[in-house]
Amino acid sequence: MNRTGFVALLLFAAASFAQTNQQWILQQSTLSYHVSHPLHQTDGVSHEAKGKGVCHEGECDFLIAAPVKSFNSGDSNRDLHMLQATRGAEFPLVTVRTRLPESEASMTMIQADLEIQFAGQTAQYKQVSLQLTKEGDYVRVIGTVPATLSDFKIDPPSLLGIAVKNEIPVRVDMTWREQK
Amino acid sequence: MTASEGVQVLISTVFVLAFTSFSFAQTPESSAAPHSSNAIPAALVLRALRANRVFNGNSFPELFSDAAVESSSPASGNVSIDPGASTQGQRDPQPNAQGQAPSNPQAPSLEDLGLSPEQTKGNPQLQARLDRRTHMLKIHQRLGLITAIPMIATVATSFGAGGRATSTSDRWAHLALGSMTTGLYFTAAAFAIRAPGIAGTKRRGPIRVHRALAWIHGPGMILTPILGAIAFDQKSKGEKVHGIASAHGPVAIVTAGAFGAALLSVSLKF
Repeated sequence: MNRTGFVALLLFAAASFAQTNQQWILQQSTLSYHVSHPLHQTDGVSHEAKGKGVCHEGECDFLIAAPVKSFNSGDSNRDLHMLQATRGAEFPLVTVRTRLPESEASMTMIQADLEIQFAGQTAQYKQVSLQLTKEGDYVRVIGTVPATLSDFKIDPPSLLGIAVKNEIPVRVDMTWREQK
Repeated sequence: MTASEGVQVLISTVFVLAFTSFSFAQTPESSAAPHSSNAIPAALVLRALRANRVFNGNSFPELFSDAAVESSSPASGNVSIDPGASTQGQRDPQPNAQGQAPSNPQAPSLEDLGLSPEQTKGNPQLQARLDRRTHMLKIHQRLGLITAIPMIATVATSFGAGGRATSTSDRWAHLALGSMTTGLYFTAAAFAIRAPGIAGTKRRGPIRVHRALAWIHGPGMILTPILGAIAFDQKSKGEKVHGIASAHGPVAIVTAGAFGAALLSVSLKF
């Protein structure tokens, strides 16, 4: 190899190392939905979400997915009806996609635009407030997504002739680890 | 509940009431009939429900036939899938296939998350089974609530059903309401028993109490009409209720109490 080619190779290698993508892995999570009915207040909780974030050129793309059947309200009969109402057998995952500037990882409060796929429907939620707390190598993210049944075309379940409220806020509590 | 299902419930109830009235017809000849002709065993009620297929050829098989469940199971060679359904998303106004490739090639995909194919792939057969289960349990819930009304009325009329007279209007009212309660009860129970189960589900929560109480009010709803029939016969002959028939009242009270507790266990949060 001549001198010019060797220098070009060195420059190319340096450039490649400089553009290494930063990645984030979801370490642990607690996702919980809340359903309101005059006779019952119900929370269904899932700890089985998986997530990954890939940063490139100052922008990070995040994907979080949780199995619908992993949400546990403490009542197996209710959970099965939930699975049926949300078409969870046909669309087994609820996925969340968002893109954030890499610089926001150091902030304590951010506004995120979320794209959520659930029950065979896609809904966009703009400017969802998320609280960030840095804990060593981890970043804890806490927030509430103002989801509704009508956003995903879910027929409101009813008990004794009274339907549940349309609002089903979903609280997220996630801990992310930067993968170096 | 569809119109055909409602007609089925109505026919079942009328059939049970007609059968009961025939059994209790007070003619001089029938008063000497054996006690067993006045009993209404549960098997006869269930047989009456199934016999409705003779009158109405389609809706009972649709709900109670095992073939309807087996046809949607993967093991069957004749898989029946809702024509509007398909794998992942094509049924919806906004097509949404889960796991579709993001526009940004750098963005993670579902495969990157390490989710198994079992977790990402839809199961239309399971969804159809869930839909049928929910539909039948909704009918079970409605019929159970409706059953509570004649049951309360039956208990209320029980206080006037005694007395020395061989025939009283209160006693006949008690009999009629009790028969109606029995018919509705077993119709409601049938929907719950025949609702498809979901494999791999571990029962948690108030449903366990609801199912456990069925072991009390189920046998109670079989015993109560039988003992009531014996007691009615004794009273009609001018006798004092004695022997096993004297248990009719306590058994009925325990049965009604268990039924009410079962209803409340899934209605209220304790």
